[in-house]
Amino acid sequence: MFKLFFYTSCIIFILGLSLQMYRFRKEDRFLNPDKKRRKSLRGLSAFSNTLFQVKLFKAGKIRWIIHFLLLVSFLYLLIVHGFYSVTADLLFADYQPTLDPFQALRNAAGFLVLVGCLTFFIRRQLALWVNEDRRIRKKGRGSVILILAVIASGFLLEASKIISEPVFMEMVEEYSGLDGGEDLEDLKLYWKDNYAVFFQEQIETSPERLENGEALNEAYCLYCHSPIKSAAVSKPLAGILTTAGSWMNANRMDKRLYWLHYGLCLMVLICLPFSRLSHLLLIPWTSSRRHLTIQDYKNDSVSINAMTLHACTNCGFCSQVCSVHPNFQVHQNPDILPHAKIESVKALLKNPSSIDLWQLNTGNGACTSCHRCTDICPSGIDLQTLWTVLDKKLLQMGMVDNNRLIGEMPLNGWMAKKEFVYPGKQAKGIPVGAASKDHLTSNLADRIESFEKCIQCTICSNVCPIVDYDSNNIDMSPHQIMNLLRLGKKHLATGTRMVWSCLTCYACQENCPQEIQVTDILLELRNAGSMKADWIQKNRLIEKVDR
Amino acid sequence: MKLAYFSGCKIPFYMKDYDLSFKAVMLQLGVELVELPFNCCGYPARKDSFEISILSSIKNLAIAQQQGLDMITPCKCCFGQFKHAQFWYQTTPGLKARVDEWLASENLTWEGQTQVKHLLSFLTHDIGLARIQKQIRKKLSPKKVVVQYGYHALRPFSITGFDNPFAPKIFEQLLSLTGVEIVNWSKSTECCGSPISTDNRELSLKILQNKFNTAKKAGADYICTACTPCQMQYEIATSDAPVDDQNLTTLLFTQILGAAMGVPGKKLSETGELPWDLF
Repeated sequence: MFKLFFYTSCIIFILGLSLQMYRFRKEDRFLNPDKKRRKSLRGLSAFSNTLFQVKLFKAGKIRWIIHFLLLVSFLYLLIVHGFYSVTADLLFADYQPTLDPFQALRNAAGFLVLVGCLTFFIRRQLALWVNEDRRIRKKGRGSVILILAVIASGFLLEASKIISEPVFMEMVEEYSGLDGGEDLEDLKLYWKDNYAVFFQEQIETSPERLENGEALNEAYCLYCHSPIKSAAVSKPLAGILTTAGSWMNANRMDKRLYWLHYGLCLMVLICLPFSRLSHLLLIPWTSSRRHLTIQDYKNDSVSINAMTLHACTNCGFCSQVCSVHPNFQVHQNPDILPHAKIESVKALLKNPSSIDLWQLNTGNGACTSCHRCTDICPSGIDLQTLWTVLDKKLLQMGMVDNNRLIGEMPLNGWMAKKEFVYPGKQAKGIPVGAASKDHLTSNLADRIESFEKCIQCTICSNVCPIVDYDSNNIDMSPHQIMNLLRLGKKHLATGTRMVWSCLTCYACQENCPQEIQVTDILLELRNAGSMKADWIQKNRLIEKVDR
Repeated sequence: MKLAYFSGCKIPFYMKDYDLSFKAVMLQLGVELVELPFNCCGYPARKDSFEISILSSIKNLAIAQQQGLDMITPCKCCFGQFKHAQFWYQTTPGLKARVDEWLASENLTWEGQTQVKHLLSFLTHDIGLARIQKQIRKKLSPKKVVVQYGYHALRPFSITGFDNPFAPKIFEQLLSLTGVEIVNWSKSTECCGSPISTDNRELSLKILQNKFNTAKKAGADYICTACTPCQMQYEIATSDAPVDDQNLTTLLFTQILGAAMGVPGKKLSETGELPWDLF
């Protein structure tokens, strides 16, 4: 029965793993259609990051301590406790689960895992309640709960065994020669007092009887049973369970809890490939991948293994160091922040129609490629490369940038859509769906004082490098834009090539004899055009879906 | 002297040489650099959102103010953006209140005293040419060099206050201390094309190619920059096929100055390689 369950779970685990591998491969081909093979092993960093979580240590010391203790304890439980039938003979000469140090260590390890998991759980939950940025995604709690359940059932199991009279009787039968009579009663008495076993019937106690019990204990039990106090968690728990002792013993709760504990452990195995727990396997693998270098970027051979994305544990360090966090503060687009963006990418790989492509594209567009997310990622994911690959992928999927959108759009199409609403979520103080005019600007293009002094001397156009280099494509030159504004055609001006090709080199502004802030006006027009282009992009996507 | 070092987004990963050589030169001059958890300067967002670009800048200034430090950056776009943001933050109605509210949500405030310095103006005005002169250990060979000013620091002068926008001279003054020969270049103050290098690559490279051609015609052997996007634009272009592969090499000002100060090559460049015929 035991083995049957175990092997079935193993088979399910292997099937699950293969299924996931198949999925990752498919995702990989989707993400990098023209991937080149690279030699990319980093054995040393994989080793150090797996065993000691070096990158997590660099990112946050307290989290590292908690995580490291948890991992060591978990591994101890897995190897020494879980697989004792295999490992005990190999590692220790005389292993007994109820002997110290094993009994004490098991309790200590279980306690540390429990505390670690609870900390994770509370931290995540708190982050959801308190911190605005993290409210965006809430994942990874299921796995924590599962581990918590395993540990809790383990402690309950141990406690229920401690108080169990039937277990005591079985042991007596197997290891002592006692069958009933005074001696057994004395031993019971001793165990009741010293090992917290719960006995149904009352036994009269006396110092002599206890002495005899102690002698019997020494003769039969002591070589396998250390004092119960080293079971630091289970003993107090057993004390609590004693209150329901007769019921527990009558129903053989120890056996039921055994199967519960065992079943939960198998659940962990089965869930390993699918849940956040998979980071146990994926982080070592991901850490062994080489990160791209500047040379790779220059050679344009940018690709990323899709499997590495799944090593993300949603810890959020990347978003704490993200260079464009202010962009998120203003636009509230979660896909600006790496830890949220990677979730969207995973969703995109699963099902492209399930996500807001515009949001992802705009969010990714804000990235300044500062590489900090890659540098800090405790899982060792090359996030910067992911964003670069994503950028290409989105372009392939038809998400052109605003500049190209406007370049390909006839001017009357641009002019036809006058009123618009910025499609993103809005910052505090600006209601969702507020008109673009609620965004503050340099406030020049709408104020006649800022351009009315223009005398159309064309100095601005004469010094403009764009007019010089791009005379074939440019539609209007700066002085003509000023004139458009005087004619009240700001809206038309926001769609001109001049505005979209402007280098913002301030040559026009510096040379203007009338001290008009020409470049700042062009910039403001570009801002307005950009918002409108965003709106058009978003609506195009909606139309596509509707069709 | 202690300053907050604002490296910007590109220097730490893409231009480690600039990072190394800048730090080496500052160490030589006895300037202590402090690295703070800054975010982007806001320049890349300038075209899309006025609010984002101002908030990004002011937030950095507030972070520096927390430590009571002024800022130094070797990037002209970052420098220009900070000046730009300070100007608009103080003059746009309603903007200060909104930005302050965003800052307050992260327990930050900015009182407006933080100074931002660019490498070149800092060396000229705060350190002084005479003190740098004393640090020069070896004169470099008199190769002909032109300088790329980087317009975001130069213009608009009323906001950046960097140098005379029509006839700037601080870059040449500093560079001539090292012994290289400065050549006059008509395109010295013109844009390198970097702002449109993703949006309109073709035009950006066209502008750049003309810069290379005119520099060569002026008789230059090297182009010298003191700005992150300028240097990246020149470097990417030299490795890019559409641009002529006979182009001039571009040097980082901090590497030249560092070499003249006698800083070993290993501390100026990751590979330890510098264009050695200069030295």
